[in-house]
Amino acid sequence: MSLQQLNSNSFEEIIYDDCESCLVIFSRKDCHVCKEVVPMLDELKPQYEGKFGFFYVDVEEDKNLFQRFSLKGVPQILFFANGEYQGKLAGKVEEEAVEEKIAEVLNA
Amino acid sequence: MKRTALTNKLLVLGVDGMDPRISKKFLAEGKMPNLQKFIDRGAAREDIRLLGAIPTITPPCWTTLATGAYPGTHGITCYWRQSPESLDAVVYNMDSRNCLAEQVWNVSAEAGMKTLVWHWPGSSWPPTSHSENLSVVDGTQPGSVNMGVAQLDWEKVIVATPEIKEVRYAPRVDKPAGVGCIITDLEDTLDNDVDDEMMELWWGDTARQGGEIRTYVMDDEDTEVVIGSKVAYDIVNSPLKEAAGWANAPEGSKEFTVLTSGGVMRRPALILKNAAGEYDRVAIYKNKKAETPIVVLERDKMVTGIIDDVTKKEVTKPACRSMKILELDPAGNRVRLWISNALDISNDQLWHPKSLYQEIKSNVGEVPPVSLIGGEDAELVREIFEPSWDLYNKWQADCLNYAIKEKGYEVVFSHLHNIDCAGHQLWHLGKTLEPWNYTDEKTYQGFIEKFYIQTDKYFGEFLHLLDEGWTVFILSDHGLIVGENVPPIIGEYGGLNTKVMEKLGYTVMKKDENGNSIREVDWEKTRAVQIRSNYIYINLKGRDKYGIVDPKDKYDLEEQIISDLYNYRDERTGKRVIGICLRNKDAVLIGTNGPECGDIFFSVEEGYNRLHGDSISTSEGYFDTSVSPVFVAAGSGIKSGFTTERTIRQVDVAPSVAVLLGLRFPAQCEGAPIYQIFSEEV
Repeated sequence: MSLQQLNSNSFEEIIYDDCESCLVIFSRKDCHVCKEVVPMLDELKPQYEGKFGFFYVDVEEDKNLFQRFSLKGVPQILFFANGEYQGKLAGKVEEEAVEEKIAEVLNA
Repeated sequence: MKRTALTNKLLVLGVDGMDPRISKKFLAEGKMPNLQKFIDRGAAREDIRLLGAIPTITPPCWTTLATGAYPGTHGITCYWRQSPESLDAVVYNMDSRNCLAEQVWNVSAEAGMKTLVWHWPGSSWPPTSHSENLSVVDGTQPGSVNMGVAQLDWEKVIVATPEIKEVRYAPRVDKPAGVGCIITDLEDTLDNDVDDEMMELWWGDTARQGGEIRTYVMDDEDTEVVIGSKVAYDIVNSPLKEAAGWANAPEGSKEFTVLTSGGVMRRPALILKNAAGEYDRVAIYKNKKAETPIVVLERDKMVTGIIDDVTKKEVTKPACRSMKILELDPAGNRVRLWISNALDISNDQLWHPKSLYQEIKSNVGEVPPVSLIGGEDAELVREIFEPSWDLYNKWQADCLNYAIKEKGYEVVFSHLHNIDCAGHQLWHLGKTLEPWNYTDEKTYQGFIEKFYIQTDKYFGEFLHLLDEGWTVFILSDHGLIVGENVPPIIGEYGGLNTKVMEKLGYTVMKKDENGNSIREVDWEKTRAVQIRSNYIYINLKGRDKYGIVDPKDKYDLEEQIISDLYNYRDERTGKRVIGICLRNKDAVLIGTNGPECGDIFFSVEEGYNRLHGDSISTSEGYFDTSVSPVFVAAGSGIKSGFTTERTIRQVDVAPSVAVLLGLRFPAQCEGAPIYQIFSEEV
């Protein structure tokens, strides 16, 4: 997988301190839906190189982050820009929906 | 009707829960000098009491004050209304459309007087007169203006130390008093049933549309004093470290992280050093790139009017917050910060006209959020809960004075909730009873005094009106008792009280496999239920959905229930705990008859009362408390320095307002003017 993994501290630095426009997928290794959505993000990532970041959080390794965002279930894709939360997409999402949301965040 | 007015300007200063008996104690100690001035310049009974309507519950009593009618007549007979569908559920009741009696503010507005009704939690919202002279602000809940509809986020305590290695967030932690706010195990602190929608459940859109609220009070743990005194807030833990990556961080500052909006909103913060090299301030920023902070907080000073974005249910809006430093180590090794709930500053749905909201915001300031955390945590009561009300009181006083001075209102009905809000959180701790023997009654008696002192300060904001031709009434809906004993599980206003009625065999709960009662009524075996503060309903065939009692047996069953209630003995003390019981038709004697008052009215005996609501209106409690409301009048049309022996009833207030202003009586008024205190014959 080409997505960079985040933990609580790198989350602070990259998402908030650097204020990068990006998405973070919260996933779990043994989750079937995640196994479909994560590769889709993997494929999308190169198109946004330098413009929009792609990251992931393993909710079992970083339960704290999962709880901090009051999330219920995986996968969930959270979007950020300028260190501000921009909304999320949950469950089995299509590529088009992700692209649409990225465009929305970039144009905001 | 033509009547000569004794005044042209009248202000009602309503203070929810203000008790004349304890007020007299603080007056005698010189702790309420402004109230003393109103008494000296006006008229009241020696005991400054008003004889309260029954039940001694907020919406019925405020409605009685507004209409001059008894609860059985105006139809607002408890905090909640009985659900038309279910004997075990209640529905929202702070809706003026349920009120069957005319409010005196409609009379004044329709007579051409510019009238303001400010957060009056009894039949004020929505406005019931089309008169353009009538303005109404909220009144849909007793708390504070906009509390029921504009809340976007909850209160938080942030703790940052160098030892904390990562940011952690725990929503709605029920924190036992004295335990530090360090999250050691998130699994233990997380409650899957986090109830962040209480405001909406009780007072929000669904409730106001008639949604059923089903609350069972089965044991002490379900009672309001036990629930209300638990302190629940969000806890954020953060590392505290040298500031790095900031656009504009002052030399030597250290950074930590604040989370809001259910964890999705993050604000970086700095602790700042003073010239002496000690850390003494906290600055909160939108992000590290920001040149200027959202707010800089100083030690010991609560700041309100802090506007920041808050996200709730995926929608982001600007909101108003208050904040205060709870602790800041001068050496910079520990900081604790409180941040209030957040009020949506764009929400004007409960303002009529809406333009008044914009004018208040621009000329007085945003509505300050009040804290609801205090209870058994003495530090939070002292540092947060009480000061947040003090700020709110000042804002409200400024709003009312602005409305009077700049907007030309001539008649103002206002309500303030500080004492009652504190009462529901901590008055029961004013006597150290066994269930809360880890607290000290002296500490809480001190807090009771503080709330009366801040109320006196509020009164002081209106003293100038006595020199400007105004008449001022100071009054309340009910007082608040410090309980002598732990109350029995009957008479709690919030819902269905099962325990005593289950013991007496009238209410039957379904059982689990171990024979323990579960939270479900067995309607096939239930003959009667006790719901809301003082009402018992027979489960009647043909009337109630699951009725089993034949109407021909109703009279005898009522007799048996009344007899059993009088014979019931409290399990802790062996004493009788039921005061009076009356059939519906007989309860007309105390104004609690009619279709909204159940089949039997009962009260809990003095000595066993909870704060208010379950007793008759003359009950007294520990620490010189009583459930009586207060009444003092002063200014134009009122005798000065006058003491009356007349029993002044709550129903007498509205007709007195009418006479003083030279208006007709409200249509369903059952009281009579307090002519003995008027400066002229009427």
